[in-house]
Amino acid sequence: MKIIKKRSHAILALMLIVLVSSLALGQGGAPAPQQQGPKGAVIKGKAPVNKEVLKVKLPRAQETTLKNGLRVVLLPAHKVPTFTMQMVVLSGGLADKPDYHGLASFTATLLREGTAKRSSKDISEQVDALGATLNANSGLSSTTTNVTSGGLVENLDQTLDLFADVIRNPTFPQAEVGKYKSRMLAQLQSQRSNAQFLASEQFQKAIYGSHPAALASPPAESIKRLTTKDLADFHSTYYRPNNAILAVVGDVTMKELLPKLEKYFGDWQKADVPAIAVPPAPAQSESRIYVIDRPGSVQTVLQLGTLGIERTSPDYFAVLVADRVLGGGPASRLFLNLREDKGYTYGAYSNFGGSKFRGTWLSSSEVRTNVTEGAMKEFMYELNRLRNDPVPMEELENAKRAIIGSFALSLEQPNSLLQNVITQKIYNLPADYWDTYPQKVAAITVQDVQTAAQKYLDLDHLQVVAVGDAAKARAVLSKYGKVELYDAEGKPVTGSESNNNK
Amino acid sequence: MRRVSKFLSPLFVCALAVLSAQAQAPRNVRVDFKETTLKNGLRVITVEDHSAPVVALSITYNVGSRDERKGRTGFAHLFEHMMFKGSENIGSGEHIMLVFNNGGNMNGTTNEDRTNYFEVLPANQLDLALFLESDRMKSLAITRENLDNQRNAVQEERRLGVDNQPYGKSSERLQELLYDNFAYKHTTIGSMEDLSAASVEDVAEFFKMYYAPNNAVLVLVGDFKTAKALAKIRKSFESIPRQPDPPKVDMTEPQQKEERRDTLNDVLARAPRVALAFKAVPGNTPDFYALQVLAGVLQSGQSSRLYQKLVREKELVTNVGGFMDEKRGTGALYSTSTLRPGAKPEDVEAIIYAEIERLKKEPIADWELQKAKNTTRRNLINGLESSLSRAVTIGQYTVYYNEPGLINNRLDKVAAVTKEDVQRVANKYLVDTNRTVVITMPQAKPRPATSSTGQ
Repeated sequence: MKIIKKRSHAILALMLIVLVSSLALGQGGAPAPQQQGPKGAVIKGKAPVNKEVLKVKLPRAQETTLKNGLRVVLLPAHKVPTFTMQMVVLSGGLADKPDYHGLASFTATLLREGTAKRSSKDISEQVDALGATLNANSGLSSTTTNVTSGGLVENLDQTLDLFADVIRNPTFPQAEVGKYKSRMLAQLQSQRSNAQFLASEQFQKAIYGSHPAALASPPAESIKRLTTKDLADFHSTYYRPNNAILAVVGDVTMKELLPKLEKYFGDWQKADVPAIAVPPAPAQSESRIYVIDRPGSVQTVLQLGTLGIERTSPDYFAVLVADRVLGGGPASRLFLNLREDKGYTYGAYSNFGGSKFRGTWLSSSEVRTNVTEGAMKEFMYELNRLRNDPVPMEELENAKRAIIGSFALSLEQPNSLLQNVITQKIYNLPADYWDTYPQKVAAITVQDVQTAAQKYLDLDHLQVVAVGDAAKARAVLSKYGKVELYDAEGKPVTGSESNNNK
Repeated sequence: MRRVSKFLSPLFVCALAVLSAQAQAPRNVRVDFKETTLKNGLRVITVEDHSAPVVALSITYNVGSRDERKGRTGFAHLFEHMMFKGSENIGSGEHIMLVFNNGGNMNGTTNEDRTNYFEVLPANQLDLALFLESDRMKSLAITRENLDNQRNAVQEERRLGVDNQPYGKSSERLQELLYDNFAYKHTTIGSMEDLSAASVEDVAEFFKMYYAPNNAVLVLVGDFKTAKALAKIRKSFESIPRQPDPPKVDMTEPQQKEERRDTLNDVLARAPRVALAFKAVPGNTPDFYALQVLAGVLQSGQSSRLYQKLVREKELVTNVGGFMDEKRGTGALYSTSTLRPGAKPEDVEAIIYAEIERLKKEPIADWELQKAKNTTRRNLINGLESSLSRAVTIGQYTVYYNEPGLINNRLDKVAAVTKEDVQRVANKYLVDTNRTVVITMPQAKPRPATSSTGQ
């Protein structure tokens, strides 16, 4: 049992440390004792806080390219004798054939179910005997596929051998494909017992319509349709060295690593890879409210959100800071208001994401059924407040210091450093992107936050999803607009009479 | 030569090097710590490490849900939430804001056997971390308003984790059925009724009894000079008065004589689930480590016997997993399988029992023993990477076993496990009369999707 359960946030990264207070954050001295803080917190201002923000600098990743075009990035980290390597194939779910949603995802998952020289069982036994991990996945609307393996550095050679084998020589045996399909179909059923899944499924559909990002899981018809040949074709088309980046972090030097990579990946054949057009997110429909009936629920899962930004948007830093003010962590408005002040929930957060198409900006919480109304009121209050009122200067500085200050902590998380490097590569961000990240955060103004809120927290197109006891949730939410009712299978329940004939 | 940060000294071990699969000698890492006890009984352990500009502070209190009395289940954890609602010099919620707004991270956690609090901050905020922890150890603000607020938050935590989740109540039932001694017979989250009954007097009494310096271990890891940091720790904590030692909890767990079994109907579940537990031994004992190896062979990873049999070969379950639970008192080996539509719990049980019989009759394979040891080694080593994880782990080992050095020698204890040990503990603990089984069946609950009124 924890005091808070934090959702994952992409945190930054870097290295090297110089103690400087060049960033004018958190100036202004300690507030007076007993000063009232934001809703849900009382600020006495007596604790000793060092106003200097530790400035940290990104470690330079070492880079090289093999003759076949495979780009290699290494971040040495010698504290403990382990490593993680990630093959980023620059094609994912967005490359799925029409009506074959899940093709990239299945291809990835079935890599380890058999190669030219190893059976599924061989691979499992060998990976586990090394104490290693080997996983592969691709999202239904992802631009990439990731194959990741971590292990003990004394086993680097054997782990690389397995890693390269599943990436280069998978056979997608028919029997394994069949087993996997039947297991996936069973999981499609059992995931519907999870209230958060039902909420996300509806929310994504509401925002994305017919865009691939509307799908929370592959449709059963797509799963049934897939064959060994489909997977093998996808693999041979997209898994090519010139369409991939190999990122490695750990207790290894480039001098040690390079000959091994030449051995395992040097003769991997390059090929022309078709370019995939990224479909833009659709125009947003008017604001809608969806209630999903989940019999037996004692909480309402509330998700409210809008279309956000692309990862490369010039508004990225304004949204980053605005999101931190709104609900990016436990020191943010939603948590302090809905939990610390009202006691409606165990947690209330917001988050945003974006890739090569616009992502979402989502606020969410799980609240006991009889405070659904109060929770909705506070969500709307906070969304409106961020849009209508300038964020107080001290709160803005706190949000920025929270983001910049956490750079120091990320130095102990080599894998998060690696993810930053990968992000910079995938989105073609400037080489000094992470070096200058703190300055970009520090430059965000009160006006920037409000402008971002008004632009992206577009309440005319706000989509609201509530999963729980429909009878109660519907009565509350109908005060905010017309409610569309769905059952837990995701099917619309039409009209008030139709509820008995599901 | 590899670069090694100052606090980690390279240590070559030969135990694993003999395995033919190892290409190079494995390097081990060691955490050098310094132990001090303040005059008021607070144990202090420091690990100086300049590899990143970070300090991690953990305080582990020797109290958990095992210390709760009947009628107050869930109280230790509810109390933990109160620790974030302010003290003499810190306002309600200010702790959370101070840590996160300075780029840090923090949390508090409660289990059966201990309660811990921790924060990790940029290294120039050491004074802040010490102030936050000492102020609340010294002067917790106990008000009815704060209690009601966090009671609500904790009851939502229970709804989120138990009452609104498929199988939530089954896990709770398994624990109640498995144990006889009240200490472990109830869950840490507690019952709604007991949470509602907790009073401010309970909070004040609990604080005085358990949140005393002589009932806690402070661990500081990170970028500081030990002598200077120790002086600061003394200044912040040494004046907090010692309290009488809290009462010892009787952890005696009687021998189980026959199988225990229950079936629950769950309106939230879509697939049947089989959950098993075999009552076993406390953590950090030779049999515990042998049972950990056994659990890995049986059900960890895709190479495990139950995954191969139940998921792949027989196609009866969508997933299977489990672990040997580490407790100060009697722990148990757990195994949980989620069934596919149409599969029968009794068929799944029969296969699990057949696999357990095989563990009793035949030694495990070389690669299986190697898997258990390598996996443990990797997990333990990765746990040494961050300051926070070291601070939390050392605190736990000290409160659990009075053995902070376990952070360095735990791997040896796992490496000492033999195939014969695995076979022996299978025969000793994985027996029918020592088994507790909870089956969950999905319950259809047809119900109108809309009804006339709102409440």
